[in-house]
Amino acid sequence: MGGEETESGYPIHIHDVIIIGAGLTGLRAAIETVDAGLDTAVISKVHPLRSHSVAAQGGINAALGNARAGDSWEDHAFDTVKGSDYLADQDAVELMCKNAPGAVIELEHFGTVFSRLQDGRIAQRPFGGGMFPRTCYAADRTGHNILHTLYEQLIGRELEQSKGSEVSGASEESKGSKESKGSEESKSGGKITFYEEFFVTSLVKTGISSGEKGPEQGERCVGCTCINLADRTLHGFSCRALLLATGGFGRLFTRSTNALINTGDGASLALRAGVSLKDMEFVQFHPTTLYGTNILITEGARGEGGYLLNNKNERFMKDYAPKSMELAPRDIVARSIQQEVDEGRGFDDKYVLLDLRHLGKDKIMERLPGIRLISMDFAGVDPIEEPIPVQPGQHYSMGGIAVGNDLETELPGLYAAGECSCVSVHGANRLGGNSLLETVVFGKLAGQAISKSLSFSSAGEGVRSGDKKAVLEKLSEEDERVKALLARDSGVKMAGLRDELKKLMFEYFGVFREGKKMEEGLEKLLELKSRYTEVYIENKSAVFNQALIYALELRGLFDIAEAVARGAIARKESRGSHARTDYPDRDDENFLSHTIYRLEGPGAERKIEGKPERKPEEKVGKPEEKPVLEYQPVRLGKFPVKERVY
Amino acid sequence: MKLKVFRYDGESGESRYDSFEIESGPGMTVLSALFKIQEELDDSLAFRYSCRGAVCGSCGMLINKVPRLACRTQVEGLLRGEGQVKLRPFPGMEETVDWDPEREVLVEPLPNLAKIKDLIVDMDKFFEFYRAVEPTFKPASEAPEKERLMDQEAVSELEKCTNCVLCASCVGACPISGKTEREGKEERGGEGETKEFLGPAALAKLYRFHIDPREVEDDSRLMLANDKRGWWGCEFNANCKAVCPKSVPPILGIGKARREIQKLGKEPE
Repeated sequence: MGGEETESGYPIHIHDVIIIGAGLTGLRAAIETVDAGLDTAVISKVHPLRSHSVAAQGGINAALGNARAGDSWEDHAFDTVKGSDYLADQDAVELMCKNAPGAVIELEHFGTVFSRLQDGRIAQRPFGGGMFPRTCYAADRTGHNILHTLYEQLIGRELEQSKGSEVSGASEESKGSKESKGSEESKSGGKITFYEEFFVTSLVKTGISSGEKGPEQGERCVGCTCINLADRTLHGFSCRALLLATGGFGRLFTRSTNALINTGDGASLALRAGVSLKDMEFVQFHPTTLYGTNILITEGARGEGGYLLNNKNERFMKDYAPKSMELAPRDIVARSIQQEVDEGRGFDDKYVLLDLRHLGKDKIMERLPGIRLISMDFAGVDPIEEPIPVQPGQHYSMGGIAVGNDLETELPGLYAAGECSCVSVHGANRLGGNSLLETVVFGKLAGQAISKSLSFSSAGEGVRSGDKKAVLEKLSEEDERVKALLARDSGVKMAGLRDELKKLMFEYFGVFREGKKMEEGLEKLLELKSRYTEVYIENKSAVFNQALIYALELRGLFDIAEAVARGAIARKESRGSHARTDYPDRDDENFLSHTIYRLEGPGAERKIEGKPERKPEEKVGKPEEKPVLEYQPVRLGKFPVKERVY
Repeated sequence: MKLKVFRYDGESGESRYDSFEIESGPGMTVLSALFKIQEELDDSLAFRYSCRGAVCGSCGMLINKVPRLACRTQVEGLLRGEGQVKLRPFPGMEETVDWDPEREVLVEPLPNLAKIKDLIVDMDKFFEFYRAVEPTFKPASEAPEKERLMDQEAVSELEKCTNCVLCASCVGACPISGKTEREGKEERGGEGETKEFLGPAALAKLYRFHIDPREVEDDSRLMLANDKRGWWGCEFNANCKAVCPKSVPPILGIGKARREIQKLGKEPE
């Protein structure tokens, strides 16, 4: 079967595997599960090619040793661990770095057009915090090239399926919904279905109390609920394993390089399903974002030799990282820029300059053509003629959904990988070129872990009645929540509240942090959060009601904001991206450990059976859930914890 | 200044133009103006967005009668009359409403694709044509242990096509795309496929695989579009190249593909 059922008015889709998010992690995982013969659905709130991975510029790290011989995965691992300020788990880092060369070669075999050296091998450039030039790239459009390649690979699989199914009869496409189906049944096993422009509103769990017999005891993630943006219908999804690959939460901050869709939906979904978040206070501020729009100006611009200049025309990095200069890790360069600006050596008290002019026209045109276009389009500056105005801006979320090296969360059946997860390979600060690497390495490993856990495919019959019941219950709960939101005609305007939140987060939990100020920030945050219950939108349309989606996203942003704030206040030290003026030093004795944040109590949706006593929307904003902070030791390894000097 | 925006309701089929008074400033893009409308004036306005940095291809729309990415189009530049593009006649050029280009920016959905809501068009057909060119890398040889070697010159040539962000601006500007029922449609099996011109983006994608030195050096990719739906449907109006936000030149590939096919003596009819 594998089709839909419409009893009780909600379409229900049944698949072996559901992957939420269609960026590099989600697509790489899907290739793995489809190839393992599993019926796989990829759900995304945008078309897969619009995912934020497409914007990654500079490259992907792998110790290929192409640009300079002698590199090794161990050196890559050391750089990563040191870059993380020793907060990364060393066995996870080892896993990533060992798999890196194979992952890049595989992408090349999939068809990615990487830039090349004279001898035809994949080119590599130096990136911050790396001892070797090990960042492989496709000009300055690496994410774009890899994302398109992975999508093309999946389309190839989809086309093969439909060729196979033509023999067994034409499949009927349901008009009006944006899902594109591979085929109803594919003889050769695996199957891929994309649900594009579907927004996930909740995860579905079953618990011990469901009374169902089965191989699993206890709680399990068995699906999710979605809104189809095209017509606002609610859809239920039932699965045997679910992977969150939803990316980061950059849009929690006013200044961010992230796509506008990066609202951290996955972290909020997991948190509300009772799953822990890890190290959420570690937020990366990229040193060079374009002044004005905060569009990313790749680290590759400095990797190719670009200078940072203050208003005295000095390469000020000499005062902060005399050896590495502009190629110190991001946290250090971002703070240095911020300090220059704060102390009056910036321009208009807002930015410094990134000068590429000495690289010459040819190098800029060949290696950084995208950066040149961005500078001209969005700042009216041609970097061949003029330096680029840059300032730090939020760029990456090191923290995320707590997972082990097998990418499974504490909730059986629920996996997370890529930026939305925290394995942890980035610790307190991610090195440039390691995020693309994380997506493809851990996307693949997640797909493998899922395939291993579901060693046989049985869509349809594999769904137990208890699962379906849980999906239906969740659907009616979500339906009520959406209806309640739409029914509100006055109160707090969504856009204003969201703006206030973003400004607050950048101001109180930005590049530099301080205890008293953060306490004040948290108080304000909770006040804003309490106003969420009164949020209303004027748009009541069923077709592409984006206001509704923003309002739903906003609830998740509040969840994440609180996790970031509480984690940051409790961590009384400075480590990597978390820089406290009141605790300027790293404190290994007390804080060489991961922050674990979760919600506890009646509101944590521990119970599935039975009607909740309170109406769902009352839960929002004044949660009975108690935020709980715990600490987990870092898994150390061969690299001893040392002072971090560049 | 004013933003004059096409509004469309797919359910009732009704359309109209709404004018929104906006305070423009330096750096304001059409996309940020649309967000301003959504946030402050009318939250029912619908349009696609994602990266806001001209890399994701979501926000292709018809701006002052030219298909462009809303995120990289500056409002003040338009008012000053900058960035004008000369185009051969295509459906989007038809005068639909009066507007004053010195004070107003006209924003409409991309032509040649079915309208859904306001500025959102149905991209299914666009991606159906994308699928029709079988856009998956087919290497000529078994995977070696390491990467396949490539000359940087070959990479640079490929980049001209791989830079495409699939925003459909070219399809929106194409005088041939969207025309239905072309001649020479009787062949090609009964899969019920559309006979419409595949369009510049899909053909650029196909050409990219044809010239990839890692693929088999034969005419299999060329033959995939050896008809009026494909290479031979193009009439070299060059609107595609003129509007491409990534400077992809589909017509150059189409022209080269045709010449190669002619050399092989395999052109249709």
